[in-house]
Amino acid sequence: MTSLALNTDATSLSPIGIFLHADPVVQIVMVGLLLASIWTWAIILGFFFRLGATRRKTERFERDFWKAEDIDAFHRIEGESDLPIAKVFAAGVAEWRRSTAGGQVDRGGTRERLATAMGAAVAGEIDALSDRLNILATVGAVAPFVGLFGTVWGIMRSFTSIAAAQNTSLAIVAPGIAEALFATAIGLFAAIPAVIAYNRFSHGINRIEARLNRFADGFHATLSRQLESEVKR
Amino acid sequence: MTRNEGVGLAVAAIGHVALFAILSVVWLAKPVPLPTPKPIEVSLVDAVALDQQAPPAPEPPAQSTAPDQGPPEDAPPPAKAPEPAPDPAPPKPQPAAVPPPKPAAKPVPSVNKPVAEKVEKPAKAKAAPVKAAAPPAKAVAATKAAGANSSATKAKATGSLLDDDFRKGLSQTPSKAKSPDAAPGATMDAKAAADIGSAIRRQVQPCADRQVNPGPGASRIVVTIALSLNRDGSLAARPSVSGDHGGVDDENRRYVDAVDRNAIATFSGCAPLRGLPPELYDVPRGWKTFKLRYKLPG
Repeated sequence: MTSLALNTDATSLSPIGIFLHADPVVQIVMVGLLLASIWTWAIILGFFFRLGATRRKTERFERDFWKAEDIDAFHRIEGESDLPIAKVFAAGVAEWRRSTAGGQVDRGGTRERLATAMGAAVAGEIDALSDRLNILATVGAVAPFVGLFGTVWGIMRSFTSIAAAQNTSLAIVAPGIAEALFATAIGLFAAIPAVIAYNRFSHGINRIEARLNRFADGFHATLSRQLESEVKR
Repeated sequence: MTRNEGVGLAVAAIGHVALFAILSVVWLAKPVPLPTPKPIEVSLVDAVALDQQAPPAPEPPAQSTAPDQGPPEDAPPPAKAPEPAPDPAPPKPQPAAVPPPKPAAKPVPSVNKPVAEKVEKPAKAKAAPVKAAAPPAKAVAATKAAGANSSATKAKATGSLLDDDFRKGLSQTPSKAKSPDAAPGATMDAKAAADIGSAIRRQVQPCADRQVNPGPGASRIVVTIALSLNRDGSLAARPSVSGDHGGVDDENRRYVDAVDRNAIATFSGCAPLRGLPPELYDVPRGWKTFKLRYKLPG
């Protein structure tokens, strides 16, 4: 086990070694980018599980909804769910109950209120779902620049060390440049997954939003038919 | 922060730590070897020369005193002469087993004794008795098969006898006859030249480090540069490139002039050379003019 130890030699490609020999400013940049990378991956994993579960449960909910005989009974079962589509459904049912509670029913006004209520519910759920997606966008856009800042700073420092040593030998500047470039490497390491994940999850959330809107429209149509038949009676 | 995000954060943190730990540990087994370039390579043109390095001794006085002490020393060598002969005697059976080359046997007697030359080639068995008869002191006659080797050792023994006398005569005389104004070791020998070369190399090192490599392959070009120096170590003239360049190929041919300029700049930049031995300045092959090989670092 003697060979299993952290390599802190500057001439190797060991990240620890490069980090320990770097300039303090570059070290700060590296630590910041590393934290950004960890946070990015936490968000990616969270999104992955959440969107997958949401998609599966939404399909099951829709299937069950269109098969259900009695909307009131279905609402008693599923109305308290945290699922976005259940929230939209609950908002529609609540508005329906409020609008039809009195003796007089304004059909046009009720339709508008139903549409508004369910649209607001859809928008609120999508907002909640896409929270933190902006962090992925920010990391994907900014991390390369932050890494580049660290690289520029490190290379500037290397050149000043050339001036100090009055020696143009590559051995004087090479370690500093390698350390500096490592900052850009970490920046790209954080940014690339963030950009890919941002695009992927934006697409997934758009699909969920479209699905919620379709469901809201369908439910709205159902409630409208119900409204006409009930008011006629 | 929901439960999903907490799990994601933990997994991400562990994954990053594991990734960096693996990258740090795995490369330990085989650290990437960064080649450390040699800053400069300057070697002497004639560091190992087949020159006569003895000081130029005045010879005529040596010869005049030699005969005085020569004759007393002459007496012992004949007594020594039989001694070398028994030594070669044991190896004789070994050459005897090998068929001795006939042409080789012939010239050796001719060197030693004109008598043996008269003997014909096929009669090799006879050749031995003839030789044995001429020098009676030798034990060669004991074996009939006197091969080429045995006769060769005889030739050496007689030759060295002459040399010993000759050297004894010379070795004692020059110390007396030497003229006092000729300093001992006043000629630049290979060792002194190497010392001066390394001294120059040490002093031009900072200037050599400052030279910029003009392009790929340029460090293979070897420039022979000639320095002409004053006695105080400053340059008497601008250093010049002499002779052909070494290590020039198609890749680096266009950098030859640039390397020439680098070489001249190296030696003129660190110009006054200190600490060179003044007694070796104006002697034959001294450092009044000095040739060095120059190569770019890398």
